[in-house]
Amino acid sequence: MIRALIVDDEVHSRDELEAMLIETGEFVISGKCANALEAIQAIKKEKPDVLFLDVQMPVVNGFELLSMIDEKLMPNVVFVTAYDEYALKAFEENTLDYLLKPVEKGRLDKTVLKLKRMLNEQEKPIYAGLNIKKIPCILSSKIKLINAADVEYVKSNKAGVYVICPGGEFFTDLTLKVLEDRTDLVRCHKQFLVNIDHVDEIIFRENMLAEIKTKSGCHVPVSRRHLKILRERLNF
Amino acid sequence: MELLFRLIQAMSVFLVVAYLYCKSPWFKPLTTDSLRTRDKIYLYFFFSAISIMGTYLGIPIQDAIANTRAIGPVLAGIIGGPILGTAVGLTGGLHRYFLGGFTAFSCGLSTTVEGTIGGLVHLYLRRTNKTDLVFSPKVAFITTFFAEMVQMAIILLVSRPYADALALVKVIAIPMILSSSVGTALFMSIGRDQKNVYERVAAISSAKAFKIAERTLNFLGRGINRETAVDLAKIIHEETGVGAVAITDREKVMAFIGHGSDHHKPGGPIVSPLTKTAIAENKVIFADGERERYICPLSNACPLNSVLVVPLHIDNDVIGTIKLYEPKNKQFLNMNKTLGEGITNLLSNQLLLSRYERQKNLLVQTELKLLQAQINPHFLFNSLNTIISITRNNAARARELLTHLSNFFRKNLKRGNELSTLEEELDQVNSYLQIEKARFDDRLIIRMDIDPSLLKLKVPTFTLQPLIENAIKHGISNMLEQGTAKIHAYREDGLAFIEIEDNAGSFRENAANDGLGIKIVDRRIKSLFGNEFGTTVTCVPDEMTRVTIRIPLEAHKT
Repeated sequence: MIRALIVDDEVHSRDELEAMLIETGEFVISGKCANALEAIQAIKKEKPDVLFLDVQMPVVNGFELLSMIDEKLMPNVVFVTAYDEYALKAFEENTLDYLLKPVEKGRLDKTVLKLKRMLNEQEKPIYAGLNIKKIPCILSSKIKLINAADVEYVKSNKAGVYVICPGGEFFTDLTLKVLEDRTDLVRCHKQFLVNIDHVDEIIFRENMLAEIKTKSGCHVPVSRRHLKILRERLNF
Repeated sequence: MELLFRLIQAMSVFLVVAYLYCKSPWFKPLTTDSLRTRDKIYLYFFFSAISIMGTYLGIPIQDAIANTRAIGPVLAGIIGGPILGTAVGLTGGLHRYFLGGFTAFSCGLSTTVEGTIGGLVHLYLRRTNKTDLVFSPKVAFITTFFAEMVQMAIILLVSRPYADALALVKVIAIPMILSSSVGTALFMSIGRDQKNVYERVAAISSAKAFKIAERTLNFLGRGINRETAVDLAKIIHEETGVGAVAITDREKVMAFIGHGSDHHKPGGPIVSPLTKTAIAENKVIFADGERERYICPLSNACPLNSVLVVPLHIDNDVIGTIKLYEPKNKQFLNMNKTLGEGITNLLSNQLLLSRYERQKNLLVQTELKLLQAQINPHFLFNSLNTIISITRNNAARARELLTHLSNFFRKNLKRGNELSTLEEELDQVNSYLQIEKARFDDRLIIRMDIDPSLLKLKVPTFTLQPLIENAIKHGISNMLEQGTAKIHAYREDGLAFIEIEDNAGSFRENAANDGLGIKIVDRRIKSLFGNEFGTTVTCVPDEMTRVTIRIPLEAHKT
């Protein structure tokens, strides 16, 4: 059975697709998400084989969501859209397939065949991701989008990944790897990314260690391994 | 005594001249307030001739001439000012001088002085803003009386031998002073009467023009068609009293009222070559019935003899003509000719204006249609997808939504009128919202707060729909959190207000899609109710966007 995650902002679309997928007898539904942020969490938790992803969603659309998924967890993706205009773009993204709403049974069967072949070959799906301009962060009751350019540094610990910017410290579901790959943030430590534009000074310590002081006065550690890369990057 | 009668006789000749002059076209310039140089030259020759004639009609007495020479210069002075008066006086004076006699010089000099006196009176009246007294016979009498006394004084002072001069003055003074003064006054009186006639005619024709303008203004907004053409022709026919009036477009007769309507039938093609020329060359054609006659191409028995054809045009395109006819037994009055041309120009301007208005409205309508056409397919599409899903589990709910969808589109089709009641608007909006509510489920909350006394309020059709659609499409549908759309209608300060508010706060000035619907709604309200009404947008980013519609409680179309 193929484990499928459905992501769509409209409840009836989710229900309809769920019903159709179950009718094929090939799927188990590992979850239904109403937006991109729920989806990121569900992918981490459920590690589905395939994502049925709506393009038009509030705040973070389907394409943007794709770029926020960690490569290691990247499932196969089938775009589901109401509008043809996105179909072409779906192909540019090299997704597995796309379906137009309302989904026709015959068309879905073809997608299932394709999907089964992909899963049998155990090919790792790779999608050319977009750069992330805005990082979705979770506040107690709402979602905050933080401009990647405003971020000073990012840290990760056991609790998760935190984005630090002049406005404060915000939790995000994106991984350090995703942020490193899809933004201009630079890795300076196993657990830290830094925004070069916000670096004020680099203070060298013994043992080839260093520390970055940001313009707002925060200190970010630099590991031995990453100091070299940082040097190359900054030409010093 | 005999001298006085002889002078009165001479004066009578002037009055005949004066009468003839007033009937001639050269008199016309005097009816206006300011004289042109050319008019003054005419006046100079005319009054100089009067003055010289006064000398010739005089009666020789004691080597001098008792005369009414003064009439010309004094009148010229009063009417035309000091320069004209002096010039006429000098001419009359020089002429007298060359006739000789012992008073030759004194008479020549005094005539010039009399002209100047007339001129000074003119200046005085002008300075003291009493120009209406220029044509007063009383002023003319007093001025001449005084001027002739001055003349007598000059004769006494200048002519020698003094004894002869004194004897002469004793004989001529009273007859000359009296006859000249009375003559000038009568001359002026004739002139004034004629001037009044002209003014009355002018007043009557402008009154007529205004009346026609007033009567036609109302219905010409619809442009000229068969129906309005007949009304228009009737009005012109009634007001001008001409024999017949016709209105044509570029090819056909649209209306014909008056004599000859038995064979001049509306709907028939234009046959008159005069009209064809007027249309082809965009110029006024006038056949006065004497030098050029109107010959009816349709019937030999046609009573019409003269015609004025004035092209009706919008910008520079001739769209038709207005024709005024008079029958054989009636002269085509100059007044009606002027009136006909004036009215036609007025109508042309009105038509241009109404075409401009129509096009402006058309533009707004077209924009609205465009907007409607853009939005509805997406809405229909999304609705169908929603309903397809619902059909699976809840057929009753699906049926309900399809009913709303059907209602929404029926209302859209049906509403061709400019204005709808708020109730009708809300009915359509409600169907729309029910479907969107189904689509977004608990992500969309709707609050309505409508003053029930406003349900009959007239608003431009399709006012609420685009605004609600904006609030959902560009606002709430982009929110992760729950969205609330509010519609609030209330009275305040004798006006009606309708607010449409969402809690997305995503309105951006100049954003391509957001603003357009609001702008069109605003423009339609303004064009229907006036510039003090319309929409205003308040936006607190990420908190709320509120569009406030401000309209009058009673719809008075502007």
